[in-house]
Amino acid sequence: MLANRREVADPGIDNALKKLTPEKIEAVVRKVFNPKVSARLKVYLDTCVHCGLCSNACHTYNSRDKDPRYSPVGKVKQTIWEIIKKDYKVDAGFIKLAARIAFVECNACRRCSMYCPFGIDIAFFMMTIRRICHLLGVVPQYLQDTVNSHSTTMNQMWVQQDDWIDALQWQEDDANMEVAGARIPLEVEGADFMYSVIAPEPKILAQLLANMSIIATKAGLNWTMPATDGWDNSNMAMYSGDFETMARVEKLHWETALRLKVKKVVMGECGHAFRGAVYDGPKWLSWRKTPIPMVHAIEFYYDLLKSGKIKVAKKFAEPVTVQDPCNVVRGRGLGKKLRYIMNALCADFRDVEPRMEHNYCCAAGGGVINCGAPWKRDRVEGNKVKAEQIKQTGADVIVTPCHNCHSGIEDIIGFYKLKVHVKFISEIMVEVMEK
Amino acid sequence: MSDELKINVEGVGELAVDEDGFIEDPGKWSEAVAKHLAGTEGVTELSEDHWKLVNYLRNYYMEFNIAPMIRKLCKETGFNLKKVYELFPSGPAKGACKVAGLPKPTGCV
Repeated sequence: MLANRREVADPGIDNALKKLTPEKIEAVVRKVFNPKVSARLKVYLDTCVHCGLCSNACHTYNSRDKDPRYSPVGKVKQTIWEIIKKDYKVDAGFIKLAARIAFVECNACRRCSMYCPFGIDIAFFMMTIRRICHLLGVVPQYLQDTVNSHSTTMNQMWVQQDDWIDALQWQEDDANMEVAGARIPLEVEGADFMYSVIAPEPKILAQLLANMSIIATKAGLNWTMPATDGWDNSNMAMYSGDFETMARVEKLHWETALRLKVKKVVMGECGHAFRGAVYDGPKWLSWRKTPIPMVHAIEFYYDLLKSGKIKVAKKFAEPVTVQDPCNVVRGRGLGKKLRYIMNALCADFRDVEPRMEHNYCCAAGGGVINCGAPWKRDRVEGNKVKAEQIKQTGADVIVTPCHNCHSGIEDIIGFYKLKVHVKFISEIMVEVMEK
Repeated sequence: MSDELKINVEGVGELAVDEDGFIEDPGKWSEAVAKHLAGTEGVTELSEDHWKLVNYLRNYYMEFNIAPMIRKLCKETGFNLKKVYELFPSGPAKGACKVAGLPKPTGCV
């Protein structure tokens, strides 16, 4: 007998369930399952042979003594197939479990797709469940609060426009204390690139804005940031199933870049924001591709180091390891460039095993850390394998070029009592570069 | 219901906290609670500077029902970022906000 899952109270789920009727649920499920709406869903369902080869790929499964309920195939069985088996007639109790599985037991990291013989995007099944939950109003409360902020302010942390500008100018001053003449140029039309960040940077981690200013100033780059909304390209609506809001956020972000007539967009150290801007956003907007190219921080730093625009004065001495963010390493193939950066900046880089596109998920991404405190214990218990993996490297520092990975791994370090610090690439770069 | 997590504050009694260790009801905050929470963040003694920061956060939250921008916090207290991290090594959100009895900010943090 498998032990019951721990009961977790989440008003965003529990209160919404009270308003559901079987008819309402069936109507929404039929709408989402309509093959005319989602040919992709039908193809995946018809292709999966239920072989279970995806199981061993999942950190939540491996961290829970291979409990089959946490295998990717098990998650599909408990949700999507259950809906089909019941001929779309599922109840509120089912939605409660399905919401938990889709929102907090799957990070949509897509490691499992690498082990599926057909390469099925199994996370897409979970995103389909999230879409159903969103349409039923059943979304974890913390996650929905973040989506509400996107919807109202077009950024994820309720940052007002004047606060945004104030934060940039303040960090320009701080950067100036490190490098004379450092700028954060606002509203420069025709600049080589627009730099996009996510709201935790102006709200809390403002030093990351100064880091970019120091790096760009030293490298002599022609760049800009917008003074208007459209600067935040993070997108929790993409993970809550609210694809209408997701598209509004992405559209404004690209329109802002087009308004500034920049040649490309460089984005900070965040993973899902890249996915939203380059893949999911354009797809939902029926765009064939992004209107101008986007480069993730990893590619940006790689180019600066490779071209010699940024030179290293003295490499970082402490042993360092790295986390591969799913959306830019598995999703975009930036694993080798990430390692080039690590070796260029650090004297003692210790790679993880497994690594690159085979690396384990941080367990925070896919909107899971955004489901907040109620789900924290489930999240960190579901990633024992990551704690063991980090420990094995013997590193004192782990670099995470993604905000979700950063916070998620900090939580794992705290829970499993590892003596490791988490840093972004820019923090190490600014420390070791010639200034 | 979830297994309720509690802290026991001397002279105050039991208080419910969330999985991140933030108090569930910001209305139950007091200086004694702040001292207890500081201990959970590795801050063993609250100096005058700690209180300046904590009280600013507290008052801002009571007025606006949200944590302030880090810019505002630095401007109003006169502390730079480095000083904020010296006072609360776990940072302004996870450290200082917790001690001030605010809920943890939502978002990718």
